[in-house]
Amino acid sequence: MKRRHFIQTAGKAVTLPILLNGMKLSAMSRSAIFKGVNNDSDRVLILIQLNGGNDGLNMVIPRDQYSGLSNVRPNILIPETAVLPLNDLVGVHPVMTGVKSMFEEGKLGIVQAAGYPNQNRSHFRSTDIWTSGSPAEQFWTTGWLGRYMDGLYPGFPDNYPNDEYPDPFAITMGNVVSETCQGVSANFSLTLNDPFNLLSLYEGEPGELPDTPYGEELSFLRTAIAQSNAYSQVVETAATAGANLVEYPADNRLAQQLKNVALLISGGLRTKVYVVSLGGFDTHANQVDTGDPTAGDHAQLLETLSQAMAVFQADLMAQGIEEKVVGMTFSEFGRRIRSNDSLGTDHGTAAPLMVFGSCVNAQVLGENPEIPTDVDVQEGIPMQYDFRDIYGSILMDWFEVPEADVKSLLHEGFTHLPILEVCSPVSTANPVVSEEIRLTNFPNPFRESTIIEFYSKGEQARLSIFNSMGAELEVLVDKKLPEGVHQVEYRPKDLPAGNYYYRLQLDGRFRTRRFVKI
Amino acid sequence: MDRRATLTRLFGLTAAEPVAAEAAMPAMAPVLLGLEPYQGPWNFEQASHILRRCTFGPTREMILEAVELGFDGTVAKLFEDLPAPAPPVNHTSDEDANVPLGETWIDAPYSVTANLRAYRNQSLRAWTLKLMLEEGISLREKMTLFWHNHFAVSNVNDPKFLYRHVELLRNFAWGNFRELMKEITVDPTMLRFLNGNQNTRTAPNENYARELMELYTLGKGDLAGPGDYTTFTEDDVIQMAKVLTGWRDRGFNTVNPDVNVESFFTLNRHDTGSKQLSHRFNNEVITNLGDQEYAHLIDVIFKREDVALFISRKLYRWFVYYPVNEEVETNVIRPMAQILIDNDYEIRPALEALLRSAHFFDILNWGPMIKNPLDFIVSTIKTTQIPLPDDELLRYRVLYRVFLFTSLMEMEYYNPPNVAGWKAYYQEPLFYRTWINATTLQARMGYSNILTTAGYNFFGFRLRLRPLDLIATIGNPMDPNTVITEFAKLLFPMPITDSQVVALKELLLPGLPDYEWALEFGEYLGNPDDVTLANAVDAKLRALLTAMISMPEFYLS
Repeated sequence: MKRRHFIQTAGKAVTLPILLNGMKLSAMSRSAIFKGVNNDSDRVLILIQLNGGNDGLNMVIPRDQYSGLSNVRPNILIPETAVLPLNDLVGVHPVMTGVKSMFEEGKLGIVQAAGYPNQNRSHFRSTDIWTSGSPAEQFWTTGWLGRYMDGLYPGFPDNYPNDEYPDPFAITMGNVVSETCQGVSANFSLTLNDPFNLLSLYEGEPGELPDTPYGEELSFLRTAIAQSNAYSQVVETAATAGANLVEYPADNRLAQQLKNVALLISGGLRTKVYVVSLGGFDTHANQVDTGDPTAGDHAQLLETLSQAMAVFQADLMAQGIEEKVVGMTFSEFGRRIRSNDSLGTDHGTAAPLMVFGSCVNAQVLGENPEIPTDVDVQEGIPMQYDFRDIYGSILMDWFEVPEADVKSLLHEGFTHLPILEVCSPVSTANPVVSEEIRLTNFPNPFRESTIIEFYSKGEQARLSIFNSMGAELEVLVDKKLPEGVHQVEYRPKDLPAGNYYYRLQLDGRFRTRRFVKI
Repeated sequence: MDRRATLTRLFGLTAAEPVAAEAAMPAMAPVLLGLEPYQGPWNFEQASHILRRCTFGPTREMILEAVELGFDGTVAKLFEDLPAPAPPVNHTSDEDANVPLGETWIDAPYSVTANLRAYRNQSLRAWTLKLMLEEGISLREKMTLFWHNHFAVSNVNDPKFLYRHVELLRNFAWGNFRELMKEITVDPTMLRFLNGNQNTRTAPNENYARELMELYTLGKGDLAGPGDYTTFTEDDVIQMAKVLTGWRDRGFNTVNPDVNVESFFTLNRHDTGSKQLSHRFNNEVITNLGDQEYAHLIDVIFKREDVALFISRKLYRWFVYYPVNEEVETNVIRPMAQILIDNDYEIRPALEALLRSAHFFDILNWGPMIKNPLDFIVSTIKTTQIPLPDDELLRYRVLYRVFLFTSLMEMEYYNPPNVAGWKAYYQEPLFYRTWINATTLQARMGYSNILTTAGYNFFGFRLRLRPLDLIATIGNPMDPNTVITEFAKLLFPMPITDSQVVALKELLLPGLPDYEWALEFGEYLGNPDDVTLANAVDAKLRALLTAMISMPEFYLS
C-alpha cells in the first residue's frame, strides 16, 4: 500500500526538461503505438557491449586480404595459417574456437563492417551514438531500447512494477545502468550483481515533495529505492527457481555475468533485455604480445568473449530454451587498418559484430573490406551496414515491431537486414540475399573525375562517397532507377588526394568499394 | 507559485533577493540568480550549504565555526594555503627493508624479493581517505578529487607514480590551470596512462593528443565537417601527437634506489619537423622547440576561450548542479570564463566568484546534488563524528577497509571508469543520477546500516556510530523535537516535513509523550556512568539516526 502510493507520488516530478533536448518528437510521444504487437512475448535479447572499440580486423579476419594486411599491420597480424576459417573468405581469431563451433552449428552470424555515416572517433560520443541509435550529428538522450519500451510501457516509472508487469523490463549486469535502455523519464534497466544477495532498503515516511530541483532529485531517489525493493523480490524468486545446467568458467568475467542471465531466464523472469559488458578493447598499445601476435590483450579478450558466448549457448540448449534468446555484440568503433608501433591500433571506423542464438542466420553478411597496401594512417574500415538497420531488423524480427514504428524509433531510411529471420513469425519482404552487387569505377586512381558503374534491378538506389575516416562527403544518387547498367560521373571539387570509398545501397543490399584520388 | 519564495518560507528565512522580478515567470522555468555576489543572510543553513559542497561532509563544529567566521572569513578559509600533507607511511609491512613502520615509502625503491607494491597501494588509498576525513574548512581535497575526475588516470599500477600525480593535483588545487596542464602533459603517470611514453617520431601515438583537447581543455564541439569538431580537427590530433613526441617516464616499479620517478625528453625520439595546425588554430605552425615544445602547445591551446568555458562548466557541475541551460551559460558560465581569462587562467578568482555568487546560494540550488560515493562514504563517518582509531597505523588499516566500499558504490579513487572520468559529471541525461541504481543503493544502505547499528569490526577496532557523543553537540537535547530537527539540519540539505518529524519521533519515543524523552535523557545525564540508562537512550537514538541516515534526503547535498 505504502509502496504503491510512494511510486505514484514519486514518479511525477522525475522528468526534467533537459531530458527532452535533442530528441526527435516522433520518437518520443509514442504512448499509443505498437498496437497488435505482442507485449507478452517471452523473447529475450542479450547485448554484449565491448567497451573501448574492438579491433574487428583482428577478430573477423578477411582471408583474401593477406597481402594488404601483411603490409599495413605486420607487427600484429595473425599468421594466415593460424586463422580459424569460417568459410573460404572469412576466418576468426585462433582463440575463438567457441565462436567457430557456434557458426558451424548454425548459431552464429556475422555482420561485416557495421557503423554509421560520419564516424565519430571519440569513445564517449560514439558510445552515445551506438546506445542511443542517433545519427552522428544529433544528440539524443534516450536509448534505442528505451524508446521501444517507452512505446510499450507508457508512463514508466510511474506505477511500475504492477500486477501485470511485476518483472524488470531490462537488466544490466553490473553497477551502472545501460544507456541503451534510457527512456524519456527513467532508465528501464535494473542493475544487478548477485541475484541471491539483495537487501531490502529502508523506505521511511515519504513526506511531500517540493516542486524544485531538490524535489525532483528526491523523487528520483525515492522511486529508485521503492522499485529496487519491488524488483529485488521477483529477481530473487526467479534466481531461486532457476538453474544452470553447464559449468561456467570461474575466471571468465563475462561468462559469470551470462551465467546469472541464464539463471534468471531459466527461473522464469520475464525480462526482455539483458545487457552485459566486457571492457578493455581500447588497445592503443600491446594489443598483441611481442613476438606472438596470436597472444596478448586482445587475444585474451576475444577468448573471454568467445568462451562466454559458447558456454551460455550450451546452457540455453541444455535447458531447451535456445529459441527464446538471441544475442548481439557491439562496440563503439573499430580500429585503424594500420597498426601503430606500440603493437596496437588507434581509433577507427566500422567493425564486424556478431549475432548469436539458434534463431539467427548463420552466415557472414556482407563482404570483406578491401585492404590495399597504400592505406592512409587515419584510415578505418568503411561502413557497409548502418548499425540502426541491424537494431531495427532485430526489433522487427525478434520483438515484432512493425516496420513503420522501427523507422520512427531509429531512422526513416531504415532497411531490413536478414539477420535473424529463422524464428520470425512474420515473413519479411526480403529473403537472404547473397547476390553481390555489380559495382566498379574507372579510372582508378583518378585525377579529375571517375565514372562509377553499377547494375540495378530497378530498386531504390543510394550512392554516396566516404572519406577514409568514415565521413559521408556526398550523396550522388538517391532515387529509384530503372533496371539496367548505370553510370554516374563523380567529379569532386577541392577534394584532397587520398583514399576514398563509394557505397551503393540497392534496397537491402549494400556494397562499398575503395578508390584513390591522386 | 514562486518556488523560491515557498522554500524560503519553509526555511523561515528572509528572501535574499527581491523576488518580484521572477514572480511573472512561469513556475517551471524559475530564473536562477547569476554570478553577482550573494548578499543575503549568513546563518547555519548557508554555512552548511557551502561546506557540504566544498568538503566531504562538515561536522556540526565546522558549520558553527563557519558561522562564526562569517561569509568572507569562511571563503577565505576555504582557499587558505595549507602545508603539503604528511606523505603516506608504511602502516603494516615488515618486509620493506628500507621503510620502517610509520615511515614514508614515497621515495623508497621496490624489492626483488617482496611485493611492496601491495601494501603501498593500500597505504596510498587509506591516506587519501584520511585526508578527506581529517580536513577542516578547506576546498583542497574536493578540488584534488575534481582534478582527478578531470584527468581520470587509472591503470598505472605504481603507488609512487600515483602519489606524485595526486600531489601535483593537490598543489594546483585552485592554482593556474594552464600551468597545471603543462605539468600534467609530461607527468610520468600521464605519460604512461595515455601512452605518451610510446609517442615517438617514427611511431606517433595520438592517444594523449586527442584527450588533451577533447577531455582536458577544449571539449568537443559539433561536427562541422569531416573530422572537424568545431573546437579541433582530426588533423590537429595527428599534428599535436607529433608535437608531444620524445617524452618518457622512468622509475616505474623500479628496485633501483638511485632511480627516481620522473619524466625525461629524448631529442632523437622527437619529431623535429613543422606541425601545421588546422584553421581551428588559425593554421598555426609549430616548429621544433625540443623539450619546450609541449609547453608552447599548451599556450597555443589556451589562447582559445573554449578552454575557459569548458573548465567553467566542469567546475559548475562539480559544485552546483548538472543542468547547464542557456540561462546558466549566459549568467554564470560566461562570466566565470571571462574571469578565468582576465586572470590568466588562475582557477581561484573564478571559483571564488562562483562560490560567492547569488546563484550558488540561490535556494533552488540547495540540495539537488546527489552525493557521489566518496562524499557519501566520508560524510557518513565524518558528519556523525564516528571515531577513528587514535593509533596512526591502525587508522590506515581501518581506513583501507573503508576504502574498499568505494568500488562497490562505483567511485574508487585512482580508478575512474575511463578517461572521461565518472559518468555523473558528463553523461546525459542521468548525470548525478548515474550513482543511484539497485546495486549501488544496496551498497550504500548496507554500509551505513552497519556503521550505525552493530558497526564494523576491523582488526579489533569497532567502527561504529556513537549517538551519545553526537547528541552531546546539540544545544537542547532534552526536547525530542529539537533533537530531530537539529540532527536533520546536520544531515539533510533541506528541512524535513512535519509528518516526517512525527514518523521519526516514533522511533525515538514509540507511542510516548514528548516529556518521556526529557525524563529518560535527563536521568541518563544525571547518571552518565549508569550503563543501563546509557544503553536505553543509546538504543533509541541509534534507531533514530539509522533511519535518518537511510533516508534518501541524506543522499542529497
